[in-house]
Amino acid sequence: MDTVLSGAAIAVYVVLLVFVALRARAAREFEDFSVAKRELPLALIFGSIAADYIGPGFSIGFVGRGFKSGFLFLAVGLAYAVQNIFVGLLVAPKLRQLKDCYTLGDAIGQKYDRKCQILAGVISVALCTSFSAVMISAGSVVLNDIFGLPRWLSVSVIAVVTASYTTFGGLRASVVTDAFHFVLFALLLPVTLLYALLFHFQGGAASFFQQAFAATADGFGSTPTIQIIGFVAAFLLGETLIPPYANLALASKTTKVSRNGFILAGIFSTLWFTVMVAMGIVARTVVASDTKQDYVLLSFVGSIMPHAGYALLLVALVSIVLSSLDSLLNAGAVVFTQDIIRRFSMLPDALALKAGRYSTIIIAAVAAAAAVFVPSVIEGLLACYSIWAPAILPALIFGLWLKAPRPLAGILSMCTGTLVAVTFQFVLPTVIKVPAIIPALGSALLAYLFGHCLGKTNSGR
Amino acid sequence: MKVFILVLVVISALTVIGSSVWVAAALIHAICPPHAARPELDARNPPDDISGS
Repeated sequence: MDTVLSGAAIAVYVVLLVFVALRARAAREFEDFSVAKRELPLALIFGSIAADYIGPGFSIGFVGRGFKSGFLFLAVGLAYAVQNIFVGLLVAPKLRQLKDCYTLGDAIGQKYDRKCQILAGVISVALCTSFSAVMISAGSVVLNDIFGLPRWLSVSVIAVVTASYTTFGGLRASVVTDAFHFVLFALLLPVTLLYALLFHFQGGAASFFQQAFAATADGFGSTPTIQIIGFVAAFLLGETLIPPYANLALASKTTKVSRNGFILAGIFSTLWFTVMVAMGIVARTVVASDTKQDYVLLSFVGSIMPHAGYALLLVALVSIVLSSLDSLLNAGAVVFTQDIIRRFSMLPDALALKAGRYSTIIIAAVAAAAAVFVPSVIEGLLACYSIWAPAILPALIFGLWLKAPRPLAGILSMCTGTLVAVTFQFVLPTVIKVPAIIPALGSALLAYLFGHCLGKTNSGR
Repeated sequence: MKVFILVLVVISALTVIGSSVWVAAALIHAICPPHAARPELDARNPPDDISGS
């Protein structure tokens, strides 16, 4: 009976998703495929940014953290809100102002030179593919829980469904389906919390405060300060302007929409984290205390909701995964076409669109193959965060703000940031006690300074 | 203080729900453009021949 209800909920969800994706219509030009003709309004930009960053980590992960360490992770999550607000105030409008800019690599190419653009493109495609592998892996776990499908089959289903609408509809389909997914989970999860508070939580405000206080004290007591600093650094910098967000900044209708979309998404993240952490705190009165963090949300909802409600939650979890995955696939394909293929051959628009579509399929296939080897969702995400910020952010932000950025500084910063991050994340993970993102970012900044002092400006620009 | 924290949590949940309604309205507008957006069906510009002949 449970499987029938779950299957029915998933079927209704898939029918609605197909309807929404078809209504988004196929992209006819590369500008439509890559930046949706720069016509997206504020509500869709906001919904898409929020749907992209709310992945398994910011939903299942935060409920588990609230369960174990109360409001500690709400404080850590504030770093993420601050990051989004700063991007909205300082970076997104500057990106949107650039002419003929389709990707972050284009921005870097315009400010530095062609070599820097290609290097930024290679790093971006590698990161989009890795992030996609993590998302496909997370989605396959949920499908596996619902239907008991073998891993390879659930991985294939997630990859094929997402790649199909992203391949034809491009960014517009991705944004419109993101809005659909956002509506689903931004309704279902808070309603679950309110339902639990109204019907399953005994003792009122005093009991909630007591549980929250006990959990938060546990959290501060059991988490070393250096680990808290590492979490704050990862939340502050790890996802800053990854390619899907950069594409949304570029696809906004105006610079004002671009700025306000990020600011609103930052404020929304605080509200979202509050809801997730509060669910974890309420779950302390319902779920056994030795429940693993990643299973708290599923156990909690399974205990308090009727079967149909549980099935709806599973749908919300699938939608959380797909909304992050489609943007990553589209961003990876656009970057591959614009920053790599188009730097070596002057493709006309129709061929660029075709290249973008094929790239989406190739990235989805590579990510699906890699997804089978992802050890855990959180480890995979942290590894991607550790590399992205040091590799790209110094070159991008200094490039946008300095009057005459030097190409040598961009190249040195991107190479050093990537190498140091990969070394401390994968090759020598136990040599230092701090997260890899911190030394890697420090090295990238030093390398940028070195290159800026020694390099020449790009006179051909 | 105790009631204040719970009220903040409830307000956050309601605001998240409100955001979803706002995005839902934009989504409907994006996939089903309003009637007046199609000039031939605009009440101020009725089609010349509505008899079907």
